[in-house]
Amino acid sequence: MSVLRDFLLTLQDRLQDMIDGLCLLCLGGFMVALARSGWYWYFLNPKFSPLTLGAGALLCVVGLALMLRPKPGAATSGRLLRQAVLLAFLSLAATAWDQATALPDFGALNPAAYQQEIDALAQEPAAPQAPVDLHPLKDGNTYTRLNLPELYIMVDKGRTDYPAHFAMRVLVVRTPELTARGHVLLRRTAVVCCLADSLELGFLARGKDGIFDGVQSGQWVEVFGRLEPLPDQELAKKNSREPAGAGGSATGNATDSKAADKSDKDLVQAAPTGQGPSISLTNPKFRVQVESVERIQPPGFPYVFEFREKEPFAW
Amino acid sequence: MDQSAFPVFAAIVASIVLEAAPFLLLGSLLSAILAVYVGDGALERLGRRHLSAQIGLGLVAGLILPTCECGVVPVTRRLLKKGVPPGAAIPFMLAAPVVNPVSLASTWVAFQGDWHMVLWRAALVVLPAAALGWALGNLKSAELLRPSLDMAHEAGCGCGCGSAHEHRRPGLAQGVLDVLRHTGREFLDMGLFLMLGACAAGLFKVFLPQEWLGLVSGNLWLAVPAMMLLAVLISICSEADAFVAASLSMFPRPALLAFLALGPMLDLKLLPAYLSVFRRSNALVLITLPALAVYVLAMSLGLLGVLK
Repeated sequence: MSVLRDFLLTLQDRLQDMIDGLCLLCLGGFMVALARSGWYWYFLNPKFSPLTLGAGALLCVVGLALMLRPKPGAATSGRLLRQAVLLAFLSLAATAWDQATALPDFGALNPAAYQQEIDALAQEPAAPQAPVDLHPLKDGNTYTRLNLPELYIMVDKGRTDYPAHFAMRVLVVRTPELTARGHVLLRRTAVVCCLADSLELGFLARGKDGIFDGVQSGQWVEVFGRLEPLPDQELAKKNSREPAGAGGSATGNATDSKAADKSDKDLVQAAPTGQGPSISLTNPKFRVQVESVERIQPPGFPYVFEFREKEPFAW
Repeated sequence: MDQSAFPVFAAIVASIVLEAAPFLLLGSLLSAILAVYVGDGALERLGRRHLSAQIGLGLVAGLILPTCECGVVPVTRRLLKKGVPPGAAIPFMLAAPVVNPVSLASTWVAFQGDWHMVLWRAALVVLPAAALGWALGNLKSAELLRPSLDMAHEAGCGCGCGSAHEHRRPGLAQGVLDVLRHTGREFLDMGLFLMLGACAAGLFKVFLPQEWLGLVSGNLWLAVPAMMLLAVLISICSEADAFVAASLSMFPRPALLAFLALGPMLDLKLLPAYLSVFRRSNALVLITLPALAVYVLAMSLGLLGVLK
């Protein structure tokens, strides 16, 4: 009887270490499971999954060390608080994971593209992805495939050497106001490390009448087109407040600028911001003049995790 | 919080913690190795050097060691406990997340090889870090740190046995076990503040109206403090923040620089960590002085036309 009592007293004395170990084991297990799952992209750039996997495995080892070789220690309020916060975090993370699984399974929708992007992200950063054709020929024009954040970054830096004709895979966003004004918003979400640093980058786009007919908001398309300055940009250029040059399609002399549809000037403000966690930015200087649209399967990930500023682009 | 906002909040909190956890674990591991294998006071001879040499040493250590802000506080705490003088430890803690090669390279890439942004970013961090090293460098570690974190294992020896005796250097198996136990406890101690900070950042990210970015971006007097506030609230890792800053090109460069300099020294992950590790008066200095210095320096650069 006294042996049992001694055992229980010892267990009680070392219980806090064991609970600490269990908490770490749960967190480590969660990280390992997430890194091995198809939903890692929802939280972090997939190139970090080996890091998460390794850290999760180490946390499991650390947790086991505390559980199997506990030391005596009192149950202070500080210890109880950190255990409670960690368990609350795990509940929160599990909720987020559950939410992610409710989204369309991009891996299942387009497994080849998903695997291709996983493989590409696992390689050295400089390794080119291998799309079907980086320079498709369409209606007599040669287009360069790139992703929207790549184009946005180049334009944003004032570079003029972006492709004159390009093709991009984008999500189409439509609102009644934009539709009434003959535009749609083309959007991709760029993620550098994790969801907290994500940016929803967008370009307004227009094309010949009816080019976006039948394309619903939220659909994935590949657009073939070129950039043209928004009216504000043309006026700004006229006033010499901006360096000349960005984009080969600028047409404007002063008369053209004045003739530009003044109602287009607040188009950027009309562009909707996203409902998600990202900061939404719509390019204030340029829009895409769309020459052709093709509906496509969703890409491997809805987010863009890789950006290059020269060919071959990450597409 | 409405129903649609909660999953977004949960995803942001999870992503911040999951991103930081490996680095916090690495910091905890380094701290545990120091605790178990480096004798108490072994690094005290650094304290005999002149204060300026201590500051220089701390800054150089930050330049060499790829440490991000998620793991730097536990390492600094352990260094202080092992006898590293505050004159070296504080500059290291503040500067290391920015002046390390990984962070500088990411800034260079994000700003398309613009060395001005890289060098000014480093300068805006090194100056307050050195100033704080100077201001707090004459304190003893015991005057700088809180006596206890009121967690699990602060009493006594490095192995966490709870006693106040000095240990011999342990054998390999015992040493590994001690390091693992110590890593776990350190991770849990600091992880608490990481998770609380991530929750606060998640709330701000979900509820911060984006329109204000556009409203303040055209005015230097508003843009600099606004970007400093954004850096604190959204708590992005110092190795990724340059890409976010580069995308916010509607802001003047001094404001972007303030964002890049302040975030790694003060954000919602670091704030509770400072308050729990350092005595309150010292923590307040660590919170206010870098913010003030970054504001003054960034505004000066903007008003003098050094950066536009």
